[in-house]
Amino acid sequence: MLQFKLVLLGDSSVGKSSIVHRFVKDSFDEFRESTIGAAFLSQTIKLENEPDVTIKFEIWDTAGQERYKSLAPMYYRNANAALVVYDVTQADSLAKARSWVEELKSKVSDKDLVICLVGNKVDLCEDGSEPKAVEKEDAESYAAEHGLLFHEVSAKSGSGVSAVFQQIGSKLYAQKKDSLAASSQQRNTVNVELQRPSTNDATSCCS
Amino acid sequence: MNAPERRASMAERRPSALDATSPFMDYRRPSLIVPHLAGIEDPLPETTPEKVDVMIAGTGLVESILAAALSWQGSNVLHIDSNSYYGDGSATLTIDQLKQWVQDTNAGNFRGYENAKLQVSSAIGVNSRFQSKDFGIDLSPRILFAKSDLLTVLVKSRVHQYLEFQSLSNFHTYENDSFEKLTNTKQEIFTNPSLPLMIKRNLMKFIKFVLEWENQPEVWTDYADKPVATFLHEKFKLERPQVFELIFSIGLCYNIDVKTPAALQRIRRFLMSFDVYGPFPVLYSKFGGPGELSQGFCRSAAVAGATYKLNSKLVSFDPTSKTALFSDGSKVLVTEQVLMSPSQAPENSQNVPEQKYEIQRLACVVEKPCSEWFGEGENAAVVVFPPNSLKSGNRQAVQSLIMGAGSEVCPQGTALWYLSTTEVGVRGEMDLDAALNALEESIMRESSADLENDESFIQVGVNGHLTLNSVKLGQSFKEYVPRERLNFLAKLYFKQRTSTPAFEVVDSGIFDVNTTNKGKLIPGASDNGVLYTSLPSAEISYDEAITAARVLFQKIVGSDDDFFDLDFEDEDEREDESAILDDEDDAMNMNLAGDMSAEPVEFAGEMEI
Repeated sequence: MLQFKLVLLGDSSVGKSSIVHRFVKDSFDEFRESTIGAAFLSQTIKLENEPDVTIKFEIWDTAGQERYKSLAPMYYRNANAALVVYDVTQADSLAKARSWVEELKSKVSDKDLVICLVGNKVDLCEDGSEPKAVEKEDAESYAAEHGLLFHEVSAKSGSGVSAVFQQIGSKLYAQKKDSLAASSQQRNTVNVELQRPSTNDATSCCS
Repeated sequence: MNAPERRASMAERRPSALDATSPFMDYRRPSLIVPHLAGIEDPLPETTPEKVDVMIAGTGLVESILAAALSWQGSNVLHIDSNSYYGDGSATLTIDQLKQWVQDTNAGNFRGYENAKLQVSSAIGVNSRFQSKDFGIDLSPRILFAKSDLLTVLVKSRVHQYLEFQSLSNFHTYENDSFEKLTNTKQEIFTNPSLPLMIKRNLMKFIKFVLEWENQPEVWTDYADKPVATFLHEKFKLERPQVFELIFSIGLCYNIDVKTPAALQRIRRFLMSFDVYGPFPVLYSKFGGPGELSQGFCRSAAVAGATYKLNSKLVSFDPTSKTALFSDGSKVLVTEQVLMSPSQAPENSQNVPEQKYEIQRLACVVEKPCSEWFGEGENAAVVVFPPNSLKSGNRQAVQSLIMGAGSEVCPQGTALWYLSTTEVGVRGEMDLDAALNALEESIMRESSADLENDESFIQVGVNGHLTLNSVKLGQSFKEYVPRERLNFLAKLYFKQRTSTPAFEVVDSGIFDVNTTNKGKLIPGASDNGVLYTSLPSAEISYDEAITAARVLFQKIVGSDDDFFDLDFEDEDEREDESAILDDEDDAMNMNLAGDMSAEPVEFAGEMEI
């Protein structure tokens, strides 16, 4: 299983959280009671085009820290993928998403970072309750220019959501499968897992 | 003092304790304050909240732990910082941020910090060999004992999942112009050929005693007010080298006068921590120390509902109307308490406690990997200079923490050296310089000692023939004196003050200043009714942080029962049930335990199954 860190970005109320809600909920047969205090959400998928490949996303939400642009360096660190979300019914929201893309590029040095631009709330335009304020073509051409993946989704109806994660997963897998095999000997320092003390008791050495 | 009304504890607000008629757990229900997903909540208003329970200024480690503890307890917290980064006096900074910090410090913007001097080599900068953001310099570096209250809280709060930790096993004591690696395990004591049998036996006897020292007052009561050196010498017949190792390397004490009980406690701390996670006593967080932990606790607080606002400074607090006024003109009603780090005190503040104790710090970036000092597979070491071991005739110990590139705080080929002392004034700076020289001489000597491995010594010519580098021919390796000087990429000196004494954890008395003076407001003061926290102490470990946060928590909530009273429902179990490929998870973990992993950060760092 491959594990990737995915961060969410975008202004408040564009529906970042709803997209993740939808993704996490739909991928399970029955709804799992969510866990209070989980450090982040995890979701595991199988790639549609590579059924043997399982990918686990570790999804970090902003926890509201984006409101005053107070995201910590820790948030961006070692991110493999990012969803930059805008609201298709808000005219200025694509411009704001672009500034988040800039922010992201300045904070994450990894050239392989997979960024997916996501226009949310298309259901509002489809049912006619809101006019579309950001044209798909505009967002799409911006994404193409900057090498971003692009999707329009509705977190409410679920349309397009799983495709976002499938595509990110495939791209990450394509990037990493070679380096995974090649660099398996590179690391000589093992991190200490704090939740796993060794069975050796500290006092046993002297008793 | 009346304790504020207790809010429902974390346990009481857990979803299973609530009436879950809907499997979706309507998280909009006002009684459920805690967001039901990690950091995922309904869109919040764009404006600063109008009313909060607690306002905290400064995102240093203690303040951040406190913010998380209060948020999980159910308090509505607004947490601000006047800087553009997290961490305040505990921050981990890039070189550019450090330049700004030095300017601000010398402009008097951070109370408690003064006399900052920074030199940065031109090798760091845009279009240079190294970039500013390649570095993470800690303002108050710390090591984490494997058995400590902070470690327990990190795991309980799951903040450890945001962080990565590495081990540190090498503690060196500087004596007679050389480094002695610490003999700190039973095996090492037994197998060390230089230790006489009698000493070995006495040392083992002492180690056995010290783990249970509190239960054996008869052994040490006579020495309760005497220096521990006397106790070790008279009671356990230990000799100077062992006594110094025990006091300064294992106990990490600052001077020879340390009293017996205090020193025993510190010696025990080290020995208890040994073998908890493996054959080492301490850990540190990758990418930076307290600055990283602060970010982790702040994120945890945010997940529990706290509001974060950097670049925001308190202008004044009016305890009568309970209104806090900020530099951007916004106002907040604070119903319970305003807390503030002294370094963020507003103009016209008149209630900041006296910062009696002085710490002198020196941080260097050197262009040497320094791996000679590290244990196998490790990236950090502690080097202690006991009193009188330096050319400056130091009265206090100088403690230093060495961090290599593997700890991700500096690029390959470089290392960070952090030195600190409790010696005051000019003497302190002289001691730091003397220790720096000793470190420099040592690393130049040691890194040139293994000349056989030095590629510059034997060179492969273009035709594939081996040629000896003629410059070094004829030199005796033993008497080899390195002619090159160590390349310092950056050097930072500064003086810091604190209200916490070097040896003790925080004195809760300092937090009483404003609460006892509640009735007597100082006219014109901008900080009446503000509770000040304490700046980081000289302690090299994290041991003061939880105590300080807990004391403050108790002052605000009225009891510390709810201090990280977290009992998260076990997500791990559930994940096991639903995980698609359990076996592969196990295989992955096995591999981690063995030595493999491709991209540590991405695949290994946060495996939590």
